[in-house]
Amino acid sequence: MIARLLATLRGLLGRRRIEGEIAEELRDHLEREIEVHRSRGVSAEEARRLALRDLGGLTQTIESTRAVRATWLDTVWRDVGYAARVLRRSPRFTATALTLLVLGIGATTAIVSIAYTVLVRPLPYANADRLVFLAEKDGRSMAWLNYTDWRRRATSFEGMASSIADGVIRRGGPFPQQLDSRSVTANFFDVLGTMPLEGRLFTESDARPGAASTVVLSHAFAMREFGTARAAVGQTLLLNGRSHTVIGVLPTGFHFMTAAHVYVPLEPQAAANSRGMQNRRDHTTLHAVARLKPGVSLTAARAELQNIAAALVLEYPATNSGSDNPACCVYIVPLADRIVGDMAPTLTVVAGAVVLLLLIACCNLAGLLLNKSASRADEFSIRAAIGGSRWDLIRQLLIEQALLVLIGGVLGAVAGAAILSALVSLAPPEMPRLDEIHLDLVVLSWTTLFCCACAFIFGIVPAIKASGVSGQKLLARSGRGSTRRAPVVRQGLMLAEIAVATVLLSGAGLMVHTMVRLARVDPGFDPNNLQTSMFSLTGPQWPNARRQVFYDAVVERLRALPGMDNAGLASSLPILGSNWWTVFSISGKAAEHWISLGEFPNADTVLVTAGYFETLRIPLVKGRYFNRSDTPDSLPVAIVNSSVATKFWPNEDPLGKQIKQGFPDQPYGPWRTVVGVVGDIKQQGIDQEAPRQLFMPIVQEPRATIFAIVRTRETVSPSTLEAAIHDVDRNVAVFNDRTLDQLMRDSSSRRRIAMIVLSAFGVVAILLAAIGVYGVIAQSVAERRQEIGVRMALGATGGQILGLFLRHGLIVVAVGIACGVVMALVAARSLASLVFGVTATDPATLSAVATLLTVVTLLACYMPAQSATRVDPLEALRSE
Amino acid sequence: MNKTQLLQGTLDLLILRILELGPNHGWGISSRLQQISQDGLKTSQGSLYPALHRLEMRGEVRSEMTASENNRRARVYTITRTGRKRLNQETETWEAFALSMRRVLEEGQ
Repeated sequence: MIARLLATLRGLLGRRRIEGEIAEELRDHLEREIEVHRSRGVSAEEARRLALRDLGGLTQTIESTRAVRATWLDTVWRDVGYAARVLRRSPRFTATALTLLVLGIGATTAIVSIAYTVLVRPLPYANADRLVFLAEKDGRSMAWLNYTDWRRRATSFEGMASSIADGVIRRGGPFPQQLDSRSVTANFFDVLGTMPLEGRLFTESDARPGAASTVVLSHAFAMREFGTARAAVGQTLLLNGRSHTVIGVLPTGFHFMTAAHVYVPLEPQAAANSRGMQNRRDHTTLHAVARLKPGVSLTAARAELQNIAAALVLEYPATNSGSDNPACCVYIVPLADRIVGDMAPTLTVVAGAVVLLLLIACCNLAGLLLNKSASRADEFSIRAAIGGSRWDLIRQLLIEQALLVLIGGVLGAVAGAAILSALVSLAPPEMPRLDEIHLDLVVLSWTTLFCCACAFIFGIVPAIKASGVSGQKLLARSGRGSTRRAPVVRQGLMLAEIAVATVLLSGAGLMVHTMVRLARVDPGFDPNNLQTSMFSLTGPQWPNARRQVFYDAVVERLRALPGMDNAGLASSLPILGSNWWTVFSISGKAAEHWISLGEFPNADTVLVTAGYFETLRIPLVKGRYFNRSDTPDSLPVAIVNSSVATKFWPNEDPLGKQIKQGFPDQPYGPWRTVVGVVGDIKQQGIDQEAPRQLFMPIVQEPRATIFAIVRTRETVSPSTLEAAIHDVDRNVAVFNDRTLDQLMRDSSSRRRIAMIVLSAFGVVAILLAAIGVYGVIAQSVAERRQEIGVRMALGATGGQILGLFLRHGLIVVAVGIACGVVMALVAARSLASLVFGVTATDPATLSAVATLLTVVTLLACYMPAQSATRVDPLEALRSE
Repeated sequence: MNKTQLLQGTLDLLILRILELGPNHGWGISSRLQQISQDGLKTSQGSLYPALHRLEMRGEVRSEMTASENNRRARVYTITRTGRKRLNQETETWEAFALSMRRVLEEGQ
């Protein structure tokens, strides 16, 4: 057995050599025979003739000897060669089929790879299915005190941890550096089940007050700063003015909610008391995560937490109850759901679109192969008639389709990689797990297999049928092409293509509509030519007095730069969103007044310098903007936007009213006089409602983290702002240079991805559908040439013949579009969260899509139908 | 056992028998076959080479290209252990077959 296998292998490897040797061996045999004959006195010529006769011909014997050595692999190889010739001989068929395959496989693989990485692939934590994300009513975060009570009282969990995304300033280099950090409770990594790559992770002693400062690094940051993870352990980093010892490095790919360079312990006291707000049970700041005990269901855990929350309402009625009490409700979801978050609808839509495109491509491929089989039916029948076995035919066709799909798969992988990198560059930077995305080979194999299956079914089944047709039937059909069954299948495919194209195009239509609407939204300010930069003034070396001076100096410096129109500073940026939502009190209105209304006065609070409103061109409704007369020592003032004015002073003039920060029972800061009312702006993003906003002069309420905003007359290099701020003080960390245009684009990137993918696919879909329709009608015209000839001979006009085929096409198109519209209405549900300014079932979009498809597909019907009218009846009849 | 299989089996058996006497090349085997064929067994040279290569594919003989006179090369075949085993088996089968045939034929007389 083994000897046989080895011989087979040797035969394969030395195929060419063996063939030469067989010839040589036989020639040697001939020479010897000739010598024998010669020795008997026969002439040289006669001797050769006799020798060849005895051998049975040289070539024949070489061939029959070689055939002994042929294995099944040789047969396959021969079939591959034949298949390659078949594909080369019909370049139009091959090119079309390959285009379909590349589109189908490439686009599908790229996009499903992204969707898989972001949506499906398990999180990089041990037993991630038992991890849950916890929050209070807002679904985002928790108050520290409620978190500690949940943690103490709940029994459903193995562990519960929390963390806060933060930023730290690292010094020690030529310039200070802003790092993304996450402050985590000591058990955070334990709960996630993360093991250190090097060193150790936090223990309770690291979080104790007065403990030596420690830090854990992300793998990427350790590599960047220290070369290797091992080298990083034991080093020190100067963070926020304190020296931190690196105790460990996380494994590659560790990620929790947001990217972070460094992880520092979250100290309970600091967490509870900083800024005087976190010790409130109704002020939520933490991301909480917990690990369910094995066997405990999410429902059971939710029920337990709801009981705890209800008990907390009774214990702390002032903060944990009321109509707007975040603690009364419990939000608990699998961590995976939470991490995927906002991108889920976009990715679902995009992946859905891809599946539809793959479907169209496969329908088209199927139609193409059916046509091809139909035109080769005679070849198959003849092969069967002259003794080719069914298996021979099937093997030959299998190899032909497999070769086609294989080439398509390879080209598709290349196209897929290109599409993937294009999409990743379009993706918003906050898209989760972006760095983990790569072309997934499993997905590639699946899509290729799918195409393979489609090719086999539609390329081989008709061929098997044809090979079963007897020779007599073949002659009786006199080469009239295919069986009657194929056109029905092809019409079904054509119908499916049109229906699916309708779904894709209506999705594209809705997204284009959405983007147009978004572009028309008035953000409330002029977003053109605005450039921003962020800087940070943290640490003991930045007392408020020094910050106040610095703000003025920076604004002066920025205004003095060439090409600058205006400049201002603010604690948050429009579009990017608010970072400080506060409750405030209004003089003369007691807490009971607001409780009866169900809401305390609250607003997104922004600290700004004089010049902020002028720089952004936010219109003044009433009163005045802040100006240089608002100083640390002058009358504390505030400006509100129109929404605040109408909400909290519905029938009064807000100017001159007194307000104070904090809850009515716990106010803080000085009373401020409202001196102006300004227009609303789209602070939270272009597609969001403009929030209520409260502005205060930053000199009266100094802040560490500040955005500089300049309006430029001419283009300036992105580093201009950084240079100007460093001109004032070299030790200030500056980062995140960007323009507001960019922010606006980023804020709609979820929708832009959906629009680009759906539009691109819509265009491809309509083209494919048109090609499909054209193919079916053209085939039908070709098959019915003789019938057309008879009809014309009997007096049918060109118009009547045209009508015959157009009617035929129109019915399929109409049914296809009708099915498509119904499918589009169902599919619209998945678009609901992405559309803006238009309903997901917008009748105008649907009818526009239906009209467009009707026109295009009828045109695709018309061209081959038109050619039918040019059939010469005499010629058509003669060919009978 | 149809006719071609019988003949093919016979040829294989003859080749193995010849090679059992010592390594030989195609032409040598062919001349020995011709001598045998005078004893009434007719084989053609044309079917010899496919049979040799088939035996090699089955691992019953192995071959080697060796230099022969006049700057030519000839393939010399040697019987393998597998080949000897087959030869023994087939010989037994043949003898058993021949014996039973003879018994049947003699009984009939």
